[in-house]
Amino acid sequence: MTSKIINMADRIKDEEDRLLESMFESAPIADDGFSKQVVARVRRKLLLRQLTLPIAAAIGGLIAFKPAAGLITAVYRILIGMPNDLVASATSNLPSLQLIVTGALILLATLLSLNMLEE
Amino acid sequence: MTRSEDHQLVARVVSAQDTAAFGELVRRHQSQVRNFLRKLTGDIATADDLSQDCFMRAWDKMGTYSGRGSFIGWLLKVAYTTFLQSKRKSKRYAEILEQVGHVTEAESRSYATQSEEVTDLDKLLAVLTEEERAIMIMSYACGLSHREISDATSMPVGSVKSVIFRGKEKIRTSFDIKDHQHG
Repeated sequence: MTSKIINMADRIKDEEDRLLESMFESAPIADDGFSKQVVARVRRKLLLRQLTLPIAAAIGGLIAFKPAAGLITAVYRILIGMPNDLVASATSNLPSLQLIVTGALILLATLLSLNMLEE
Repeated sequence: MTRSEDHQLVARVVSAQDTAAFGELVRRHQSQVRNFLRKLTGDIATADDLSQDCFMRAWDKMGTYSGRGSFIGWLLKVAYTTFLQSKRKSKRYAEILEQVGHVTEAESRSYATQSEEVTDLDKLLAVLTEEERAIMIMSYACGLSHREISDATSMPVGSVKSVIFRGKEKIRTSFDIKDHQHG
């Protein structure tokens, strides 16, 4: 008797579940270009990610060119110059710290904006 | 659509960043994800936007799929997280607007009134809380097991079962399911 009641309770539960399933059921949604849109977004994101590093390197290189050239010249003069020249080149030819910091800040800002663009 | 095929496609995405394999995964599962989010939000446009975001997030996080459960279970977890985060963002946005004196229309709208046409399912879902709604949809519309729902919602299986029980109780009392069943 008890098992019959339990079976009946299970059966009622199953019927209720089936009814809920039929109420929640809905027709499949047609793709209609949805997956293409998603893949296009993914490809754009990949492309941006691939371009970020070379672009940042190019911008950084451009910014760093002048101080780097000055630094190379200064090192060159130090290497070939006399001790008196060494003092003179250190004060006049070495790139200023201000310029390096500005370049680094611009590079950082560029990287951040590229990252934001990618997001 | 088999589980092993899904696993092969996931492996191609993770190992080679294969966008074609990812496209195939999107084609296979877009209907279920969009259906889940449409039922959860009650708004087709919002759901489709969230679905796109969900797949973008899935692309980024594909490496975290362990292959232990079904791929659709994992994808619905991503979809649910995307939904919750978007909800949090819009709540924050509404709070900011309120602070500057704007009354937000979106906040005052209830679930059932968001869609143009209110269906029986919309009425049924409107009596449930957001969490109950998500779990009931995962169970009855997406056919996820209690274990899979537990993984998707990060809730213990026992809690999932009680949320389903509570949801069914609410639906039963609000809509007199037995009468519907027999008549």
